[in-house]
Amino acid sequence: MTDRYPGYDVLAKRRTPSWNEPTRQVVNRRLAVPREPRYLTPPLFTVLDAVCQRILPQPTDRPPVPLAALVDDKLFTGLQDGFRYARMPDQGEAWRRGLAGLEEAAEAHYRLCFVKLSGEQQDDILRRMERGELSGGALGDMPATLFFEHRLILDIVTVYYAHPTAWSEMGYGGPASPRGYVRMGLDRRDPWEAAEAHDGDETKARLENGFVG
Amino acid sequence: MKNDRPTGDIATALSLVTGATILGGIVLACRKPHVPVKKPQATVAAARRLNRAAGTLAASVLIDSAIEHYRGNFHNKAMITPLVTASLSLAASLHGTADSKGEAHVIRDLIYAGAGLTGLVGTGFHIFNISKKPGGLSWQNLFYSAPLGAPAAISLSGMLGFLSERLRDSHPDMPPKILGIPAGRVIGVMTSLGLMGTVAESGLLHFRGAYHNPAMYLPVTMPPVAAALLGASALGPIRRHGRLTRWWLRATALLGFAGTGFHAVGVARGMGGWRNWRQNLVDGPPIPAPPSFTGLAMAGLAALALLEDHPDD
Amino acid sequence: MSADPFLSDPFAAPRAIGGRAPDVMKAGGWLPMKQHDNNEEVDFVVIGTGAGGGPLIARLAEQGFSVIGFDAGAYFRPLEDFASDEIEQQKLYWLDERIIDGANPIRMGGKNSGKAVGGSTVHFAMVSLRFRPEWFKSHSLLGYGADWPLDWREMWDYYARAEKALSISGPVRYPWGPKRPRYPYRAHELNGAAEILARGAEAMGYQWTATPLATVSAPHGDSPPCVYRGFCRFGCSTNAKQSQLVTFIPRGIAAGAEIRDLAMVGRIETGPDGRATGVHYHREGRWRFQKARNVIVAGYAIETPRLLLASANDRYPDGLANSSGLVGKNLMTQSNQAVFGVMDKEVRWNKGPPSLSITEHWNYEDRKDFHGGYCWMAQGPLPVEWATIVAGSRKRWGAPLREEMMRYNHQVGLKMVGEMLPDERNRVTLTDEVDQYGLRIPRITYSWGDNDKALIQHALGEMERSLDLVGAKDIFRQEDDTNHLAGTARMGSDARSSVVNADCRSWDIPNLWICDGSIFPTMGGVNPSLTITAISLRTADRIKALAKRGEL
Repeated sequence: MTDRYPGYDVLAKRRTPSWNEPTRQVVNRRLAVPREPRYLTPPLFTVLDAVCQRILPQPTDRPPVPLAALVDDKLFTGLQDGFRYARMPDQGEAWRRGLAGLEEAAEAHYRLCFVKLSGEQQDDILRRMERGELSGGALGDMPATLFFEHRLILDIVTVYYAHPTAWSEMGYGGPASPRGYVRMGLDRRDPWEAAEAHDGDETKARLENGFVG
Repeated sequence: MKNDRPTGDIATALSLVTGATILGGIVLACRKPHVPVKKPQATVAAARRLNRAAGTLAASVLIDSAIEHYRGNFHNKAMITPLVTASLSLAASLHGTADSKGEAHVIRDLIYAGAGLTGLVGTGFHIFNISKKPGGLSWQNLFYSAPLGAPAAISLSGMLGFLSERLRDSHPDMPPKILGIPAGRVIGVMTSLGLMGTVAESGLLHFRGAYHNPAMYLPVTMPPVAAALLGASALGPIRRHGRLTRWWLRATALLGFAGTGFHAVGVARGMGGWRNWRQNLVDGPPIPAPPSFTGLAMAGLAALALLEDHPDD
Repeated sequence: MSADPFLSDPFAAPRAIGGRAPDVMKAGGWLPMKQHDNNEEVDFVVIGTGAGGGPLIARLAEQGFSVIGFDAGAYFRPLEDFASDEIEQQKLYWLDERIIDGANPIRMGGKNSGKAVGGSTVHFAMVSLRFRPEWFKSHSLLGYGADWPLDWREMWDYYARAEKALSISGPVRYPWGPKRPRYPYRAHELNGAAEILARGAEAMGYQWTATPLATVSAPHGDSPPCVYRGFCRFGCSTNAKQSQLVTFIPRGIAAGAEIRDLAMVGRIETGPDGRATGVHYHREGRWRFQKARNVIVAGYAIETPRLLLASANDRYPDGLANSSGLVGKNLMTQSNQAVFGVMDKEVRWNKGPPSLSITEHWNYEDRKDFHGGYCWMAQGPLPVEWATIVAGSRKRWGAPLREEMMRYNHQVGLKMVGEMLPDERNRVTLTDEVDQYGLRIPRITYSWGDNDKALIQHALGEMERSLDLVGAKDIFRQEDDTNHLAGTARMGSDARSSVVNADCRSWDIPNLWICDGSIFPTMGGVNPSLTITAISLRTADRIKALAKRGEL
């Protein structure tokens, strides 16, 4: 995957007027999330970790995002969605059942535990879940597709794209208060926004991104 | 989607400006040589006051266009033009203000003529920019696209400077005339028109600001009265309202500076205040804009002095 | 007193207490606030402080009534409490559990709820539109839905008052509907995403305009002009947004109203005469009872019916104000589908309010083969929301998802707000599960009707065509989103077919009022908040008139 915003680091703006104090505190807490599970059991947590690596393979040149720890943190702190599908158990129970269900499916199809599978095999199990081909066992009466789409994908994707590493990678301006944006039109970039590398001018973008702040 | 940028020809624009400037310069340089005679001191003084007025306008345009075109990220290289022209006009005006010689200066003339033309070309560019926007000539685009009235300010600076040079060029033994019309009247009418144009611009932008502060009505009420008084003096009997006109013009000159103060307060009121200056200086009310009223009022005062020195009625 | 927000947690303890309430316009500032004893029978308690409750609290207090406004949420100080963060700011939403079912379950959260003093106006997208006049009589004039007992001409007047009170920034000329007075503030500059909408509309031959928004384009009082930070739907940390929290709530407090934050009302009590006598509420760790002469429910389309149903007693076994059996029924939401594409140009749609331009073409055009109307607006989802849209609508995960997310700054989209028709089968009921207050959790049942589906498909086709015309590539549809709520306590002119009358007064209990989106008989094809505000202002005037005649 090419670096579209070479040298851009949203955290370089941390001390600029783009970040207010509450934002700094919130992002600091996120960056300092405990890496050990506090909600899931260690075996389920390792499955979750493996799942996260398949759902969002991480860039190699940016600080890694502890996805499993962030999902576990959501469950631990009990941040709710505001709704629950009638056919779904609460989020913690859903995750426990869903991860156990993946483990069972790995055993059933490959006679190995999920974390021991190759990436492709793991993807195969995940796709079976996505298509609703897994049922019963640890999943109980929880519909596999619903769990996959509205719990598994949603939670992992959410914690990844709430992380500064993701913001930097995609050239997102990030937090913006008190300073917002000035140049509003098409093809306009404020000096505190990521510069995109267009064909052949990666050097220019990298230089400009060095001044973002 | 069609290309919405006046990418078009920066080179064309620049060469247009340069060409026109050179052409104007040649015309000026080919004029019949004037007799270097000592001018009445009052005429030169009036000319220098006009230089000062032109300089004030040029300074206002220089900083204002620098900020506004920085906002536009100078995406079109031609956007550097007003900075160059306004700087030159400012330099010429400083030179003219210090110059007590009773004759026009070719370089100053060239610069002022160039400034006048730049404004016209700039207006063309800005109209082009608006025409490319969805909505065309709509309130939305008048508010936020390239401002139609702004380039005219550099034209005004050039015009005042140019008139100043014509004053210096006028016949020493007769009341100064431009194109055969008493100079005071010409300058008075042009300044009056310039004031009205500037009123229109600030009226538009203050309308965009919803006149949220009652003081925002001042630049659309005081200068029009000044323009009317000056226009009446320039077109009719001079002495009738001379005193009132003079004081009103002085007040308008002050208003220009006061406006800068008001606008500075407005910038400070933006979120983050001056700490967020990189946003608020650009998004907030334009600090350098109001002194254009000062420049025009100064020109009006010069015109008034000329009218009173050389009553022709 | 300290300005450090982290010395004080808005959730730890109520802030509106001890004779003062936060002055949200000043860091660390306080406003003096009148307080009432629980045993003092106040003239009005208002349950909910959002678009329905806020204006009533202010206007009733200004008319000299004693008023207490209850809100289950916290009393935020935007300048100190709000981070620029999609996750942290979910603290503004009503995230308590609700069970959703039906063929098209409504996902609850930020797009249809709020839990804060100021309600969901603290994080709404500020889109402030008027109903099309015919919608107030959609049954008789357009042949669907139900008629409102209100006259559009009267509403036009209240819309103008609401727009003035909220300092709406809108276009000089609004292209659709009857003439309206000039908006108090001028429209905002368009961002790239809004310009794409405009070009697309022009290519289709439709009119478009800058969207009237409740965020100021020039200073207003202590509100600075909008700085286009783009986190509008996660709370405005600058107070440029004219939410209830910065407009009517401070007005109400200045006029003598009391606000009780972190105060969850669980039951309305009725007396032997059948009239409401006050409310049971949970605050500071225990249940309390506030006496009142009148109770106004303004909790929006889920909490309002939930409270009325949960207040059932021997005299009203089916819940309060429910002799028609319609409390909780006719729940409506709005179709909020979208079409997205990629532009060659950098759009950077996260800059500025998300919906800076709009076309209401299909709200005012009746040549179509379904009922109801819709508008569409420019979009600017932030990364988390955008990622969930891409993952959900395109079934992307793994490297393809990351790859697609890299195009964020070139992405553009059009999102509809469409009218869904009332249907009694779409409803709010109570489950047997209880929440943290010990109150029964609501169940929200929703299924789209054939007309709803036809409208959605029409809109998706139109939006797709529009994006195609401006050269967007890799266009895809987001088929399943909804936002806003209404219904569940509809207004009408007959006690048998409605819950409240035109004055928002319940037919069954004369001192029980309902004033929020619940009372909408039809949804309309525009965002509902301005209409709720206008009706709230009207209700305050009606209460004044009734009080004068001794008819309260």
